[in-house]
Amino acid sequence: MISVAEPWVEAPLKRFVDDARVTFALLIYPSGQVLGQSGFSRAVDVMSAAALAAGIHATVRELGRTLDGKGFRDVFHAGAKRKLYLAEAATPRGPCLLLTVFDEQSSLGLVQLYFEELRTALGQTKMQVPDAAPMLDENFEVELNRNLAMLFGRAPGRRNITPTS
Amino acid sequence: MKINITPIISALTRQRGVSGSLLVDETDGVIIDATLQVGMKGPAFAALAASLYRKARLSAQAAGLGDVTFLRLRATEGYVCAAGKNEMVLVTIADARANIGLIRMEMLKALERLVL
Repeated sequence: MISVAEPWVEAPLKRFVDDARVTFALLIYPSGQVLGQSGFSRAVDVMSAAALAAGIHATVRELGRTLDGKGFRDVFHAGAKRKLYLAEAATPRGPCLLLTVFDEQSSLGLVQLYFEELRTALGQTKMQVPDAAPMLDENFEVELNRNLAMLFGRAPGRRNITPTS
Repeated sequence: MKINITPIISALTRQRGVSGSLLVDETDGVIIDATLQVGMKGPAFAALAASLYRKARLSAQAAGLGDVTFLRLRATEGYVCAAGKNEMVLVTIADARANIGLIRMEMLKALERLVL
């Protein structure tokens, strides 16, 4: 099931999940703020994954700058059964991160291929994006909890899509 | 044994009508080595071709036919040919005037050399 905290990511994220056949997908801001998710059933899992993904991204960005003069663009980890891919996409609201987990139903090449389409779609949503106040440190936790509540249907403005498969 | 992959891949591209050849990791769908004409979307093609070959292999196994030895996809303007072994897939793109029999033979020979 896909759920989003911001409606403009709904269609691109759904298309990515359908095409790439991934098990989990989590779209966040680099701060850890959640934009949308697919495959997670508990808010605490989303919160943990978002925090860890933001941490991984910050780490590899600095590692890339140290080694290569610029941050690494994406990260891939191959586990025994599942694989993880984390990459950055530019949006009108600033950069965001996609954390996705997939199994033998998909492949790194396919995930990268459809991520490029997602990246393009997110980058072209300029006219549809509503103005929003910049997120400040002092309201981060409030915003995070509000978004998690929206994702899991505990707040007004819930936006769910029927299961994809 | 150390194998220089590039000359083997390049030799396939010299066949008449062949516009590109790639060695792709079947599991990850990423290019190991490739010789392609300018403008071809190598990574996208590799990912989709590896997925196609993998599904064909699983279909053949599910049907009790054993492994796929050679896969030929006929399109309106040419062919995509694939042969795989040991989680590697050798993929060739050819136009309609290509001699597919010859390409098949060369691909299977190349694959033997690549996966030794």
